[in-house]
Amino acid sequence: MPWLDETLDRLADKPVCGYRPGAPPAVEPTALAAMALAAHRRMSPAGQALGWLAEIQSSDGSLGIDAAHRTPKWPTGWGVLAWSVIDAAAQPSPSPWHAQAARGVAWLLATEGKREQAAPLLGHDVDLVGWPWVEGTHSWLEPTAIALLALKAAGLGDHARCREAVRLIVDRMLPSGGWNYGNTMVLGNVTQPNVQSTGLALAALVGEAIEPARLRPSIEWLRRTLSPSTTTISLGYAVLGLAGHAASPDEASQWLAAAYHRTLQRGASPYALAVAALAALGAACPWYRRDHRPPVTRHGTKAEPCSCTPAAREVAHG
Amino acid sequence: MADEPERIVSGSQACPRRLNRRTLLLGAGAAGAAAVGSTVLYAGWQSPAPVFVARNQRYDGDLVRTLRDGLVAVGLDPQWVRGKRVLLKPNLVEPSRAWPHRTTHPAVVAAAAEVFHAWGAQVMAGEGPGHVRDTEWALVESGVQDVLDAARVPFCDFNYECALAVPNGGRTSTLRELYFPESVLQADLIVSLPKLKTHHWTGMTASMKNLYGVLPGTIYGWPKNVLHYAGIARAVFDINASLPPVIAVVDAIVCMEGDGPILGTPKPMGLLAIGRTPTAVDATCARIMGLEPHRIGYLALAAGRLGPVAESKIPQRGERWQDLVEPFDILDVPHLRGLRA
Repeated sequence: MPWLDETLDRLADKPVCGYRPGAPPAVEPTALAAMALAAHRRMSPAGQALGWLAEIQSSDGSLGIDAAHRTPKWPTGWGVLAWSVIDAAAQPSPSPWHAQAARGVAWLLATEGKREQAAPLLGHDVDLVGWPWVEGTHSWLEPTAIALLALKAAGLGDHARCREAVRLIVDRMLPSGGWNYGNTMVLGNVTQPNVQSTGLALAALVGEAIEPARLRPSIEWLRRTLSPSTTTISLGYAVLGLAGHAASPDEASQWLAAAYHRTLQRGASPYALAVAALAALGAACPWYRRDHRPPVTRHGTKAEPCSCTPAAREVAHG
Repeated sequence: MADEPERIVSGSQACPRRLNRRTLLLGAGAAGAAAVGSTVLYAGWQSPAPVFVARNQRYDGDLVRTLRDGLVAVGLDPQWVRGKRVLLKPNLVEPSRAWPHRTTHPAVVAAAAEVFHAWGAQVMAGEGPGHVRDTEWALVESGVQDVLDAARVPFCDFNYECALAVPNGGRTSTLRELYFPESVLQADLIVSLPKLKTHHWTGMTASMKNLYGVLPGTIYGWPKNVLHYAGIARAVFDINASLPPVIAVVDAIVCMEGDGPILGTPKPMGLLAIGRTPTAVDATCARIMGLEPHRIGYLALAAGRLGPVAESKIPQRGERWQDLVEPFDILDVPHLRGLRA
């Protein structure tokens, strides 16, 4: 795939990248670039990206938006995911990023979205706790999906927070399928789905024991909604989510190639290119590996997978 | 690992967190509504704030002429605009081809671009959609991308731009500072280009509420939940009190009523409302919608502080609003009862 080689060359040239070319480096695009580069065996630039993430990690384990904006800390999940999938690939020896992932995991487990008062005209269960965009606010779909992917990649898929995150994501699914930012109903009216949110939610639910019929409407909605002109980031997340459920459209590669060329015309956003390069992996995306290193804690590697153990409590509250 | 809040790392270019002298020099309005541009554009809220309303408008009509005439009628001097950075801010919340009445029509954006280009301005457009993370998707779905391309207007993605903190100029909410994208702070003039809609929390949304969309999602989230906790009306007031000068051009040709701002139904009105003082423009729009503007939370806060709400302080240009009133359906929920005029 020539477009993919070109994409990887561009990412490898500046693996510490921002949301658009020339923009200051930011955590989200850099973490995505690191994962794309590493998954395509471009280890040296991937290491540069991971090193930059480590450099700006705060002492509480979190990652802010960029070097100057240490809050909000929602990008932490992306950092943990990047460090963890590359750490897993380095088995049997721990990678240099094992400790960074552990600190990020501690922050994730200590961070919760705010519970809201139940309201009859809201559609979702406001008692389910996931992750917020900004600390002190409610749990929303995408930060919860990102944190869930990260914790699963860190080997903590059985943790109580992950199990609750799965319940939250399923609860936020729209009645006729798909997800949006995280409201299913407002003042009694059902809201509408969005491509990127749906793709990411499906990706986060890969490997979960969910009745296929429960997810089918979302998968079908997403497949129906995609087209050759779907924009790069939405298409990338959609392909990733669908591929994880063995439902990627036959035209996915062709559409990603077309999206790549449109992205170049629009200024070659490294963020969009990184998402496209990950999407090109389909079900082979490292997010879906299940051979992760045993759970990480802030004190190193421990093997207790269950949330009810003292070790897990230490991770959560340490 | 780093803990210092504003440390620059590894020699890489970093986004500053606060305004610096360079940013101030680049932008006329960076210190808020009291800065250079404000004094040029406004004589202050004590003075009358005229609002121009045009009827019988169509998306395929001569909107350029209406906008140009309207802006001049409310006292905007085309000579002042020459060479200025003019930032167009349409409303692109959750765009959908099936729901075109949800977002600012591309024809209105195109007309505004043409008027300001013709007056010699450096025209840009920008938006930070509040529910959708893929801004390019929002641009394409709304149809605005095509008109920006055709008019060669660069687009600023407010959700992901470098964000700078400025003091909260309104201080009615608990937010001590507000983060604005660099391009917003560097603008000499912001043109709020909203769709006129009902709003299920605030009653209505027009030029003032539209400015929620200048705040970056990376800082405030999707949705911008921080602002909900701060209080929507207070946040709207604070944002408007902290920005560079803003004027308003309201797309009220096909509006939204009922469960706005997302799920309402189309309300054809055929109007454009234009003014240099968003408070006065939104107050006039409220009256046309059959709402009492002093009962709209953010207008009540803004009255006499950011601009006039009282009818006696808003000279009418173009059509009289009294001849255009057509009450909008609003949701029958407790917090919206009592908004009717």
